[in-house]
Amino acid sequence: MDASSPTIEASGLVKRYGDFVAIAGISFTARAGEVVGFLGPNGAGKTTTMRILAGALPASDGGARIAGHDIFRAPRSARRAIGYLPENPPLYPEMDVQGYLAYVADLKDVPRPARSAAVARAIARCGLAGEERRAIGTLSKGYRQRVGLAQAIVHEPRVLILDEPTAGLDPIQIREIRRLIEGLAAPGEGAEGGAGVTIVLSTHILAEVEAICRRVILIHRGRKVLDQPLAEITKEGQRLESIFVQLTLREEENAAAQAAEAPQ
Amino acid sequence: MRHIRAIAGRELGAYFTSPVAYAVLVLFTLMAGFFFLLHVESFLQASSFYDSQWQMEAPPDLNINDWVLSGYYQMLLLLFWFLVPGLTMGLFANEKAQGTQELLMTSPITTWELVLGKYLAVAALVTIFTVAVALLTTLLFVAGNPEAPRALTGLLGLWLLGLAYAAIGSFASSTTQSPLIAFLLGWFLLMILWVVGFVASILGGAGAGTPPALVDVLRWLSSQHHYEQLVSGLLDTRALAYFGFMIALFLLLTKASVESLRWR
Repeated sequence: MDASSPTIEASGLVKRYGDFVAIAGISFTARAGEVVGFLGPNGAGKTTTMRILAGALPASDGGARIAGHDIFRAPRSARRAIGYLPENPPLYPEMDVQGYLAYVADLKDVPRPARSAAVARAIARCGLAGEERRAIGTLSKGYRQRVGLAQAIVHEPRVLILDEPTAGLDPIQIREIRRLIEGLAAPGEGAEGGAGVTIVLSTHILAEVEAICRRVILIHRGRKVLDQPLAEITKEGQRLESIFVQLTLREEENAAAQAAEAPQ
Repeated sequence: MRHIRAIAGRELGAYFTSPVAYAVLVLFTLMAGFFFLLHVESFLQASSFYDSQWQMEAPPDLNINDWVLSGYYQMLLLLFWFLVPGLTMGLFANEKAQGTQELLMTSPITTWELVLGKYLAVAALVTIFTVAVALLTTLLFVAGNPEAPRALTGLLGLWLLGLAYAAIGSFASSTTQSPLIAFLLGWFLLMILWVVGFVASILGGAGAGTPPALVDVLRWLSSQHHYEQLVSGLLDTRALAYFGFMIALFLLLTKASVESLRWR
């Protein structure tokens, strides 16, 4: 595939749990070098969408391609192309940082001769130098989040999915993690030699989106209600916050109105 | 193969970085040693008793093979009841409790690689324990003159019993996210395999009037029946087939159980 084709193509993703619909047809595409902010109230379906893309959850309907690989028909190729940081970083407290990243590199099929270099690079990029031999369980929350980021990038994936990467951190840690993410998105650093990686991140902090994302996807009640470059939104002089409130509240009102009409 | 080695290696590393695993292994090796001494001591006492009471005939099983070897190995079954579910309880339950399940599910590994990697780690520990028992058994050859083939079939029986119990324990661990529940469930399943043998010997007693086919099935299901065959020096292919069958069955169940997680 060439550099201009999308690295994420999600089409009509649906997830149902019995009668409950978690997401009701989410479609979007993203290209190399894009940083996409996933916004939405709690329970909107952000995490569900991200977990489906990462391969942690099957969809009830719809499909998606990661770097051209169908996530259901070629799951192993798709998973090699994706780095995923869940809301709770998947860390083993008893392992040391280096051993853990080497283990993840093995799971993600980093070629054996390239493994120690890949681990060293992830450690350097996530600011973990000097902590290689520390047991993960003894690290602070901010450092654990860095290890979480390091495991997501150790195999140099073309797509990075970060679920609330700054949740629960203090302001200084948030700034550091943001810087890391900005550094990861910068073109010329990834394995693709210039195109950069695609980053999808979810957050509740609107300022975070304004700081690092170029595009915003707003999800509400399992549907995509907004998908626009950030520059377009702010060009019209609007604040992201007012749009967020407008769209989510308008939806609430529509839903309430529908519910009121339904009995007649 | 590389994934299996990585998963087994991490699991073994986790056993040996946690002091609990050391404590468990040391404690059980000590208990195995204590049971060993107990059997040797009671054999010596009984021997000297019948030596001094020359007018009384010694019971036929008062020899080093029946009294020490078989008696000791039958007692080790009790130790395995607690040891093996203790070793396996965290295998899958901990991954779920820690959230590291997300890493495994989003990595390009197959369910079989995961299940076999974990199983091989426990199998290695069962092997270490069997070797410890083998060393104790060697002491008998220094001091006395037991039958070597019988000691070997006994050790093979112990090893196979441990491997079968490990497969059962793995399955128990895959069904829950609580290691404690995994331990209890594993132990309960082992109890069932013991109880059926017990029931078989009651129903099989003279005058019980039970169809012999049912008794045979129950006896076949019981793990201690096959274990006793090997411990008594019979290299019974039915016993070998039984343990092979149990290992395969419970590994298959484990795989199905791990896979079903994806669909929740």
